[in-house]
Amino acid sequence: MIAYKFLRPDGTSAFTGFRWNLPEGEPGGWVDAPPDLCRSGVHACRVSDMPFWVGPTLYEVELAGEIVEGRSKLVASRARLLRRIEAWDEGLRDVYTRMCADRAHELAFSVAPPLESWDAVIEPSFPEGPALLGFVAARIAEEISGAEAYRAERASQAGWLAERLGLET
Amino acid sequence: MASSPDHITCQELVEQVTEYLDGALSVEETELLEQHVNFCEGCDWYLDEMRRTIATGNRLREVHVPDKVLQPLLTAFRERRQS
Repeated sequence: MIAYKFLRPDGTSAFTGFRWNLPEGEPGGWVDAPPDLCRSGVHACRVSDMPFWVGPTLYEVELAGEIVEGRSKLVASRARLLRRIEAWDEGLRDVYTRMCADRAHELAFSVAPPLESWDAVIEPSFPEGPALLGFVAARIAEEISGAEAYRAERASQAGWLAERLGLET
Repeated sequence: MASSPDHITCQELVEQVTEYLDGALSVEETELLEQHVNFCEGCDWYLDEMRRTIATGNRLREVHVPDKVLQPLLTAFRERRQS
């Protein structure tokens, strides 16, 4: 099964600090660990999960063995990195962050009276990057229309990423 | 219990962080906490500090205090408590 994994620039996992064997012309080495969601195993995400986990670098990962699906992530007993998705670079991260910020502004001013206190946090949040701006846009949608709107906004962000990165949903 | 099924606040993270580090949160709670840490720089820093504090605490060892030091210390503590 093909999935995706965001890593820090040095090739380590954000939560465990595990240092991956990065692909260099050929896939990285296999990693094995008993799968237990959020506790053990190799965690990765589907395209639909990407907005929750966006980070500095993105890799395509092959999952094998036992695979368990969580609400916003997958865990497998075996995995290896197939390739870095080069399209997810600093430029595209900035474009995605700006898209989320613009969408957040649009949502904040889509109601009367506008959500000015929400709008005020958008630009100061921009330097913190795409993960925060994606959350802010979804929270404003939720503030206006409820939990379904939060989920719809996240799905829309995933669709944007899939299209720009050329990934199948 | 989080106020939303889709995300948690910084305050909720602070309340759950010890259970998170103990591996005592449910899968759903863990996912929401980690999603929050992924976008919140302040909570990421806080979680890191908690990890370091626990690791430092785990390195502390009980030290034998000689009687000639211990007794005056206990006396001083008792007197302080009574004053």
